[in-house]
Amino acid sequence: MSLIIDSVSKNFGDVHALDDVSLEIEPGEVFGFLGANGAGKTTAMRIVLDILRPDSGSVSWNGRPNTEVSRATWGYLPEERGLYAKMTVVDQLVFFAKLHGVAPRKAERETRDWLDRFRIPEYADRRAEQLSKGNQQKIQFIAAILHDPQVLLMDEPFTGLDPVNAALLKEAFQEMKDRGKTLVFSTHQMDTVEELCESIAILDRGRVVVGGTVRDVRRATGRQVVRLAVEGDSQIDWLDGLDGIRVTRRGQDYIEADVAQGKDPGVVLQAALARNCRIRQFEIADPSLEQIFIEHVGQFDTTERTLAPSTVNA
Amino acid sequence: MNGWRTLFPNAWYISGREFRGRVRSRSFVLGTVILAVIAFAATQIPVLIDVVTSTSQTRVEVVVEASGMPADAQTELTATLNSQSATADHPPFVVTWLPGGDLVSAHRDLVQGKFDALLIVARDPVGQNLGFVLQTDLASDGQAVSALDNASVLLALDDSLARAGTSIGAVQNTSFEVRAVNPSSGAITTVGQQVSTNLLSTGLIVLIFMAIITYGTWVAMSVAEEKGSRVMELMLNATTPLQMLAGKVIGNGAAGLTQYGIILAAVVGGLLAQGPIHQAVLGGPSSGAAFGGLDPVVLAAFGVLFVLGFLFYSLLYAALGSLVSRQEDVQSATSPLMMLIMVGYFMSVFGLQSIDDTWVKVASFVPFFSPYLMLARVSTGHVAPWEFGLAVVFLLAGIAVALVAAARIYSAGVLLYGQRVGLRQVLKAARVSR
Repeated sequence: MSLIIDSVSKNFGDVHALDDVSLEIEPGEVFGFLGANGAGKTTAMRIVLDILRPDSGSVSWNGRPNTEVSRATWGYLPEERGLYAKMTVVDQLVFFAKLHGVAPRKAERETRDWLDRFRIPEYADRRAEQLSKGNQQKIQFIAAILHDPQVLLMDEPFTGLDPVNAALLKEAFQEMKDRGKTLVFSTHQMDTVEELCESIAILDRGRVVVGGTVRDVRRATGRQVVRLAVEGDSQIDWLDGLDGIRVTRRGQDYIEADVAQGKDPGVVLQAALARNCRIRQFEIADPSLEQIFIEHVGQFDTTERTLAPSTVNA
Repeated sequence: MNGWRTLFPNAWYISGREFRGRVRSRSFVLGTVILAVIAFAATQIPVLIDVVTSTSQTRVEVVVEASGMPADAQTELTATLNSQSATADHPPFVVTWLPGGDLVSAHRDLVQGKFDALLIVARDPVGQNLGFVLQTDLASDGQAVSALDNASVLLALDDSLARAGTSIGAVQNTSFEVRAVNPSSGAITTVGQQVSTNLLSTGLIVLIFMAIITYGTWVAMSVAEEKGSRVMELMLNATTPLQMLAGKVIGNGAAGLTQYGIILAAVVGGLLAQGPIHQAVLGGPSSGAAFGGLDPVVLAAFGVLFVLGFLFYSLLYAALGSLVSRQEDVQSATSPLMMLIMVGYFMSVFGLQSIDDTWVKVASFVPFFSPYLMLARVSTGHVAPWEFGLAVVFLLAGIAVALVAAARIYSAGVLLYGQRVGLRQVLKAARVSR
């Protein structure tokens, strides 16, 4: 009873888009796909959806190969978003639902429900081209879930949403999770992953470099992180001088430092007290996913390695 | 290719969306109205020709220097000149008779434009025969001049007969008619009908030619539009490429047929209105349209070739449309197809002149050209039923091949984005995609 990606490889010419990728995603789980541009996230999703066929390997859902699973199993929010510009919101959502076998009347009723929930009921009868990008994105999300799919695959669902709309979308995620749906999404935004995901996989150049539950991934480094803030000293220059401590971030609110494996984070607190600092914040934590990501993938790659250059929406 | 079993109902939904989107678009409404108006106007051309010929008059002044002309010479000449005209109210020639007239003032009147032609009639002092000089700025090989020529000869004949003591009345009503024989059917038609048949064939070929180019481009545009707006990826999860392909071809084809239906209605309405309009404008019956002789067999063949030709070519259009990422690139991507269609069209235009040549017969079985050439052969009656049947079978086979090939190219092409996708790239991708 799970979504299994088994040793899937896919090449486009000389490019290894996916290289022997294996993943198991539990039903009802929220799963995050992390990776730089061109890491293979979109290709992986397209292969799960059977839009692309892998060169080798297979995908199965509940023990059945994805080539035999009904298309209505999947709800898909593609990275490159698109709607029929001249059709009204309701018309096209009903159209998409109909293609998945949903009765038009039911589709329209649910469409209006979701528009209410996303606080855009007044856009029901407007043409898609009249909507802002953020609102179009919400429509596309509705298009992905209207036929009540068991698995939702979403490519960068939060990109381009303002905080209010992002919160609305997170609520919708929660609702889908409560309905027992399996949610898989890709993103660059690590805080969102930490907030929503139970499990993750970090992809780099077509390979899974780290995978598992978020907690396990963070613990697996064996390192810890301290966050320290003291009154009247925003730089805390002495921190770098401590043995086994390496400052990783100097923020406005606090300083973040790595504690080497085997060292006690308490030395930071002792050092601060010894210096008579007035401590505002002291926190011991596991490394953030962002740090883990950077450790495994390197700096965010700014060069596009996407196989499908977006010449249209660029 | 697991889409065969489940082609419907999704293909219907897609074709319904395509049809509504197309028919509601401004370009469709405008295009249909304009074409319908043009079609209606075209059917009124015979009326227009009658109006022009009835209002244009050639004013002729005749200076008679000869003596001893027959008494009815003036009526004779006028009647001969106007004998071809159906309308009595506006005779094409107005004759001003100036017996022993002043040649100098007559010439001045001609130069000043009071008359279009000056006919000088003199008698040869030796042979006593009439001689004619025509001074005019009318085209020397035009109808008016040849009519004057004929009328003058007749007048001279009449004159010499009168001097011999007899009359021309007995020979005046001689008629001469040419009849065309169809070599394969053996049917005998008048030359007018023959011209009409060729005109009709050309017309029907143009109809198919226009339909394939226009509506085929619609299919390619709609594929490129979906790809360009990226709604394609949403569609790919909901449907199969084959469903999309079928839906697009059916939907746009239906929209095209709707437009054709409206234009045809305008043509039929125009033909029906021809008589009453002629009556109203000219007060007489129409002198006959060039559209007669619509054979039901030809119409049926036209219908079959129209639908099959459109299906065949629009599948190819869809495949090529899937190779571009923007609608602006559709024109250049489909230009090879355009060339092919043009070749077929010109082959049929030239083929009509030599309909029994071997190359016409051979090419009329090739699916790329049969919509035109077989139609040309059918409409001119130069074809056996089995030949038509064979061409249809070949065309159906061509459609089957095009469907499989187009579905492959399409399912690979719709996921390839970039400035311009090469064919090699597509063929490569087509092997690995579903």
